[in-house]
Amino acid sequence: MNIVLIFLITIFSVSLFFYGKSKTKTISIKDNIKLNALPKFYGYYLVLWCSIPALVFLLVWSLFEPVIIKSIIIETAANQGAIFSDKNEANLIYEKIKAIHLGTYFGDIDSILRESALAYAKFINLFTNSKVVLIFGIIIASVIYSLKKIKNNNKARDDVEIILKGLLFVSSLIAILTTLGIIFSLLFESIKFFSVINVFDYLFGTNWSPQRAFVRDASSITAAEFEELKDAFGFIPLIAGTSFIAFIAMLVAVPIGLFSGIYMAEYASIKVRRISKPIIEILAGIPTVVYGFFAALTVGPFFRQVGENLGLTVSSESALAAGLIMGIMIIPYVSSLSDDVINSVPQSLRDGSYAVGATKSETIKQVVIPAALPGIIGSVLLAVSRAIGETMIVVMAAGLAANLTINPLESTTTITTQIVMILVGDQEFDSPKTQSAFALGLTLFIATLILNYIAQRAVKKYREKYD
Amino acid sequence: MSNIKIKSKNLNVYYGDKQALFDVNLDLNEKEVTALIGPSGCGKSTFIRCINRMNDVIDICKVTGNIEMDGMNINDKDLDVVSLRERVGMVFQKPNPFPKSIYDNISYGPKIHGKGETKSELDQIVENSLKKSALWEEVKDRLDEPGTSLSGGQQQRLCIARAISVNPEVILMDEPCSALDPIATAKIEELIDELKKTYTIVIVTHSMAQAVRVSQKTGFFHLGKLIEVGKTEKIFKNPDNKMTQDYITGRFG
Repeated sequence: MNIVLIFLITIFSVSLFFYGKSKTKTISIKDNIKLNALPKFYGYYLVLWCSIPALVFLLVWSLFEPVIIKSIIIETAANQGAIFSDKNEANLIYEKIKAIHLGTYFGDIDSILRESALAYAKFINLFTNSKVVLIFGIIIASVIYSLKKIKNNNKARDDVEIILKGLLFVSSLIAILTTLGIIFSLLFESIKFFSVINVFDYLFGTNWSPQRAFVRDASSITAAEFEELKDAFGFIPLIAGTSFIAFIAMLVAVPIGLFSGIYMAEYASIKVRRISKPIIEILAGIPTVVYGFFAALTVGPFFRQVGENLGLTVSSESALAAGLIMGIMIIPYVSSLSDDVINSVPQSLRDGSYAVGATKSETIKQVVIPAALPGIIGSVLLAVSRAIGETMIVVMAAGLAANLTINPLESTTTITTQIVMILVGDQEFDSPKTQSAFALGLTLFIATLILNYIAQRAVKKYREKYD
Repeated sequence: MSNIKIKSKNLNVYYGDKQALFDVNLDLNEKEVTALIGPSGCGKSTFIRCINRMNDVIDICKVTGNIEMDGMNINDKDLDVVSLRERVGMVFQKPNPFPKSIYDNISYGPKIHGKGETKSELDQIVENSLKKSALWEEVKDRLDEPGTSLSGGQQQRLCIARAISVNPEVILMDEPCSALDPIATAKIEELIDELKKTYTIVIVTHSMAQAVRVSQKTGFFHLGKLIEVGKTEKIFKNPDNKMTQDYITGRFG
């Protein structure tokens, strides 16, 4: 039904465009008046007026219709004598009624359900009909209004401008609201989690074993269970594992990325640069899951083999393998960002250095790099936040056990891996185990937010200096 | 008559397909200031950049012909550019202090060349260079502040101090006052007068008045050719060439 309506609105709007365009043209010729805008703007004006109010109405209606119908039906069912003690049972009855209406219910149908299903059908009909009527009413009203405006030779160009500005504003509003929504959903679930687990137990606990929290309902935890749970959600092993893997990744990415950035910016000829820069950037385009395969199937076993030959015990899911591959993944970020900042160091500084007899490498080491340092630090911090947030590689290559270790050959785990672990498969959404994922998400979010903020400040400070 | 320090013979410079200098023959006298004048794009800067091989930085630049300093061929492929630039310092159009402290700006060159091995020797070099560039009194109490915190004129004198810190024989100045106000310019000109006692100086300038004030010898460039060269007094009072006459009287350029 909605699709048909949208289709009709579109057809109608498009035809109005041509109508508006030709109409204003004939008016201007007939009455010999100067139009306030090109004819096509009158067309746009009509299109926008015809479509936007109707579409907005349709959207709002579709959002609220199910909610309203549901509350009406549950009330009718209750009046008919249906008995339900809480919200869940009411929902169940409502779903049954809906199924009966659609003919997909195969259980026993008593008189209460039958009556309610009939009422449901009636309301659906009523709502649909009134929706169609109202939409056409809105279209007619807005078209009449806009046609009248056009006849009075309004400033259609300016009006279209205003409407478009509004559309753009709404789009950005949606983006912002979505972000806020995500933050709040994280926040609320985390608050639920922290009502069961003490924040300090979480932040400073050294043991992470969420599978212990099999308790069904957070509100009905006994004192014994609580003691059990108290030290199951220690954040320390996760942040340690995350930082450790990120650290290994940075050990790989920073030198290689920085040096290749220096080479690209200072040494490579235009020809080399034109070929090799895109190739490095291809690295950034490889899906992380592919890196994950590589880490889990090639690099991990390779390290284990080498370790065995050297007489070392190497877990096949080692922090080393995950960190190494993550580092390779991050190289293009560091290299292209530092390439950019090195390029924006003014040539005059290099000339000044050459002029006192410095060689190229002396100039780079003592003048160019110090001048570009804030920007380089910024790019490294961005890479760190990327490493901390990376999921797929560590899920596949770093293992799941939350070991608190500094041995890179052992398996360890990260915040993101644990979130994945917790939320994969069937979950009780009110158990502390599930909610802990949100707490982890929130912590991760705050950590990367702080890193990004510092990084952007550093980069910005650097920009101001030379602009 | 003073000695000839630098001698160019049939010097040609090409940027890609474009020729920027045509058969330039110009002698620069020792411990004298030579001014190069001429309209924009005439090759003055290109010429002085040949003297310390700064054109090497530009990939597409090609230099042919002969240019000698004390009989040594500057254009020699095997020449050690680093030691050449140690002997031929340069000051640029826009002050370009490094984003380092005033002290580090000056000590940068000596450190690279292994001069001033101890801290006190280095201190001495920094102090002398700043004194020679008439900046010492203004900055002696804040040597650890960034060089970029100085005013434009001070920055340019800092760059001059940086150039003389490695004790060169020749100083090239590429419009050193074009970004400065008249007072700062006057100070730099005074300084040039002082410096010529020790160094051979080549200055590119767009200001005729400046050329008259600071130089003993003037060369006039036009479209990549050296049109006329001679004693500054003669060039500005009684030039041989009609084009020189027109340029210095402001009829073109």
